[in-house]
Amino acid sequence: MSPALFDVLAGIAKIAAVWAVMLVALLPNLVWAERRGAGLIQDRPGPNRVGPFGLFQAIADVLKMFLKEDVTPLYADKLLHTVAPAILLVPALTTFAVIPFGSTIPIAGRNVKLVIADVNIGILYIFALTSVGVYGLVLAGWASNNKYSLLGGLRSGAQIISYELSMGLAAIATFVTAGSLKPSAVVDWQVQNVWNCIPQAVGFVVFVVAAFAETNRVPFDLPEAEAELVAGYHTEYSAFKFGMFFMSEYANMIAASAMIVTLYLGGWALPFVTATGVWGGLLSIAVFWTKTLAVIFVFIWVRWTLPRFRYDQLMSLGWKVLLPLSVLNLLAVAWIVASKGTP
Amino acid sequence: MNADLVLFALAAGLAIAFALAMVVQKTPVRSVLSLVVTFFGIAVLSVMLAAPFIAAIIMIVYAGAILVLFLFVIMLLNLNEEAREKESRPVQRALGLVAALALGGLLLGITLRAGTPPVAGPAAGARIPSVDEIPVVGRLLFSDYLFAFEASAVLLLAAAVGALILSRRRME
Amino acid sequence: MSPLSGVAPMSVPPAAFLAAGTLLFVIGLVGALLKRNALSIFLSIELMMNAVNLLFLTYGRMRGDAASHVIVFFVIAIAAAEAAVGLAVFVALFRARQTIEVDRVNLLKW
Repeated sequence: MSPALFDVLAGIAKIAAVWAVMLVALLPNLVWAERRGAGLIQDRPGPNRVGPFGLFQAIADVLKMFLKEDVTPLYADKLLHTVAPAILLVPALTTFAVIPFGSTIPIAGRNVKLVIADVNIGILYIFALTSVGVYGLVLAGWASNNKYSLLGGLRSGAQIISYELSMGLAAIATFVTAGSLKPSAVVDWQVQNVWNCIPQAVGFVVFVVAAFAETNRVPFDLPEAEAELVAGYHTEYSAFKFGMFFMSEYANMIAASAMIVTLYLGGWALPFVTATGVWGGLLSIAVFWTKTLAVIFVFIWVRWTLPRFRYDQLMSLGWKVLLPLSVLNLLAVAWIVASKGTP
Repeated sequence: MNADLVLFALAAGLAIAFALAMVVQKTPVRSVLSLVVTFFGIAVLSVMLAAPFIAAIIMIVYAGAILVLFLFVIMLLNLNEEAREKESRPVQRALGLVAALALGGLLLGITLRAGTPPVAGPAAGARIPSVDEIPVVGRLLFSDYLFAFEASAVLLLAAAVGALILSRRRME
Repeated sequence: MSPLSGVAPMSVPPAAFLAAGTLLFVIGLVGALLKRNALSIFLSIELMMNAVNLLFLTYGRMRGDAASHVIVFFVIAIAAAEAAVGLAVFVALFRARQTIEVDRVNLLKW
């Protein structure tokens, strides 16, 4: 088998593995976990009728989404109304292309790196995707021909572009220490030194808070707040398009958790374990997904614990607190790296 | 007919088709969205030209910030009116179209006919390496082009302040 | 067009990239000349700038020169600054004249 063909097949296998885990295994169970977790925190049972422990609730939800009637508002821009959820979904699903979900697995004598696309621009690809994802929200709000949707969409767009800045600057500090823009380089640095959440604690906090804002999760979910804005930008959506919004929110959450784990929590590495070979590769995959699930649990936990921010509090937090903190973090890290002598 | 040629045809075709769509669309919102797709096509072409960094910057800054700003202004001021049907000054518009197309033909002829100019190639520090051009660009930005870099920072600050002042409501 | 020695030859002929860039520039020019809405004119200008970026990158790739990337970087930064101020001007114009069509902004006309 020629090396090129092997690479193509390995790439397809990796993509299939990531999507199989994310879409098939993780998303429906995440919906269930959110509802049961909510019930646990709020001292009520949560869904427990559909299947044992309510595990088939997700299937019921998916069926509902496929079978409901699809309504488009009367004077809405039909093309934009249909395209907006798709614009939101694509970045959520393709962020995983540059995240290393394991170390390497030797297959048929060749080491296969467990990253779908180890491009040189690494993190910039993720920033580009988040920047394009803003369009999905803003267009969904605009194309619904509804004041609440428009307000929700614009608020959400403004929130995302504000927090994107602090998130980017906090993330860049980790790449400054690693010396490359690839997330796999950051993981390698963390394997050789220490997890980034310890020396860059400020950046870690900024990144996590900004990740909550980027994924529109409480306490930053004013754009889709039920009490204030009906349902914000997805008011006028039903059936499958609403399902796509739903799915993209959870996919975004998974991607954000994966990024937090990769950049700050050591990626696929356990602190004192270096295993190689097939078992090492499989262990690294298991470690990565366990850590990601732990961060997702924190997302769910925070959602049902904290009240949401008012919009002006949200914007002032993003611009007046997080942005200066992330800039100072970057300056400090750059100073330290530069004083050690550049390679 | 290798894979690169197919990719070029797709990306260039996408860019040109949506650029035409942008010019033809009647509502500004659809023009902005067509331009986003055009910029994506240009970004793909930049990747083919060994400039993935610039491709990412185009998507982040141009398609992800500047055009979002356009969209916000259109939506907040409700500027999405359709263009009026009555054409004003049709002769002038026709002449303008002819002149633009003539200029386009002239430019096309010049660019396709010119060869590589007989100047020396770039210095060793400014060559595009085959693997990773980001360190080279970074080093150039902070050594040869440092003044321009700092000046553009001041320019962006001036633009931000200017935008704030220009769009403020007059205190009567 | 022969590339400089020492630079890897391009798999797609550079003439194709140059033609695409020039075509995009001309489309932007036509848009800037024929549209009445100030925002559409501005969008066409942005298209022209990006077409020029493409041309810069093509020539840089032909020469193997990374300075083209630096120039494009600055063009993008300046376009961002220009867009911010330009849109602020449009907002102020809209508040004053309630229109954004360039034909109607003619108070200084004889």
